[in-house]
Amino acid sequence: MIKLDNVTKIYKGEMVALRDATVEIDKGEFVFLVGASGSGKSTFLRLLNREEKPERGHIFVAGKDIAELPGYKVPYLRRNIGSVFQDFKLLPTKTVSENVAFALEAIGRPRAHIKEAVPQILELVGLAQKADNMPDELSGGEQQRVSIARAFVNRPLILLADEPTGNLDPATSVGIMKLLDRINRTGTTVVMATHDRGIVDSMRRRVIELDRGRIVRDQARGVYE
Amino acid sequence: MAIRLDYIAKETGSNLARNFTLTFASILTVAVSLALVAASYLIGQGINNSFLGLRSDVQLFVYMNPAATQEQIDAVSRALDDSPGVENVDFFDKERSYEEFQRLFEEQPDLVSTITPEDLPQSFRIKPSSSDAEVVTALGDTLESKEGVLRVEYAAEFARQVQRSVRTLNTWVLIVGGVLIGASVLLIFNTIRTAVFARRREIEVMRLVGASNGFIRLPFVAEGLFHGLLGALLAAFAAWGFDALWKRNFVNQVAFELLNQIRWDPNQLWSAIGIIFAVGALTGAIGSGVAVSRFLRA
Ligand SMILES: Nc1ncnc2c1ncn2[C@@H]1O[C@H](COP(=O)(O)OP(=O)(O)O)[C@@H](O)[C@H]1O
Ligand SMILES: [Mg+2]
Repeated sequence: MIKLDNVTKIYKGEMVALRDATVEIDKGEFVFLVGASGSGKSTFLRLLNREEKPERGHIFVAGKDIAELPGYKVPYLRRNIGSVFQDFKLLPTKTVSENVAFALEAIGRPRAHIKEAVPQILELVGLAQKADNMPDELSGGEQQRVSIARAFVNRPLILLADEPTGNLDPATSVGIMKLLDRINRTGTTVVMATHDRGIVDSMRRRVIELDRGRIVRDQARGVYE
Repeated sequence: MAIRLDYIAKETGSNLARNFTLTFASILTVAVSLALVAASYLIGQGINNSFLGLRSDVQLFVYMNPAATQEQIDAVSRALDDSPGVENVDFFDKERSYEEFQRLFEEQPDLVSTITPEDLPQSFRIKPSSSDAEVVTALGDTLESKEGVLRVEYAAEFARQVQRSVRTLNTWVLIVGGVLIGASVLLIFNTIRTAVFARRREIEVMRLVGASNGFIRLPFVAEGLFHGLLGALLAAFAAWGFDALWKRNFVNQVAFELLNQIRWDPNQLWSAIGIIFAVGALTGAIGSGVAVSRFLRA
């Protein structure tokens, strides 16, 4: 599903954020990216949905080399990749269901489909009751659920999560991890950057550790360190 | 790609409401610049239309007072025959003048029906032996002082002078119009950039979920286009009013003999309005397109 082949990412011609990374992730895997702050976790994720382009190497997503993908095809790549962030990136002027619907409107899905898909996904993330609330009326955990619903409503093949529990307390984080685990069980490949030791240690999934841009560990059913 | 019109309308509408003053300024600037361009176009066409029928060999028209006596006419005629500066003279009596009048104004039967041969001045059409403006003017001055002469017109030279000065003025109108179109593009660019900035969160999310660049651009370009076209609509009204005003005030008004030959036909007014809408749309599309592209590339 995802394959990095000697990938190097250099910012501004000097900051090597990822160095000669070679790694393969199969369909349906759940992978943690761990490492200190600045080790290149976010860069790794941004390379996968072509928010960044590598200076060297090849990145294959669903069989295609996305390093060479022309700009106008990038949106179609992203339709297959959901993204979740630490800061949720919800639109404050839209309700919960409007926020989720927006992801489908933006890619021109028909209204009938949207009307059906949005309540269904809100049910899945456990927010059916809050469909008409504004984001600022929700707790952090609920907001992250909305953002996950938005990322997953188009049923992407891959879900990228960049420290999704970074702003949440441990109990709430457990709920978010259960949700991501459920999404993973539907066959979706999940790649999650985190430095939440407790989560990594309790889930016992594959762990890829980065240190100053290098992959220093790749361990099945791993722990934080 | 399925494009949802209600989505575009909603987004465009909310942008307009958000930024009323800037929007108003850009629409007005578009309107003024396009109106100037259209006026310049019409006058330019009018200049080309006018003077075309002039006989280039006739340089001087000596109009006799309608009340001039036969002796006075004969005196002028003799003076012309004796003058070495005159190569050729043609006398237009009332009947001949009327025939010409009918021919020149055959498209305006109303006008023709109100005029009788008696209303028209008799005239000498003179071809001077020299085309030097000073020589011709000197000849004209001599004739102007004769008894019974209403006025002297320097046809071709005169026409050329009018043409030249109107054309110069017109060039400046066009230049000002062009500069203002540049200002319009910048204003629309600015308005749209502000709108894009106000919606940067939405745009970020749209890019993330895989909205195409075209889809993201569309409401903004639609908004710019709307500014351009609304300005064009105002300018089209202005052009139409200018046309009516010109016709009422100048065309066929003896007091404005300088300008009354500059006239354009309805087709040329329609072309002017076509130009207004085309340039207006282009102005809006370029201003907004550049604004959005610059943002999306970043
Ligand atoms: N847009 C950027 N421009 C310049 N340097 C960057 C940029 N993004 C990240 N970096 C640098 O690249 C390195 C890796 O950053 P990042 O991938 O965000 O690490 P992490 O997510 O593990 O904290 C850091 O040193 C960071 O400062
Ligand atoms: Mg990071």
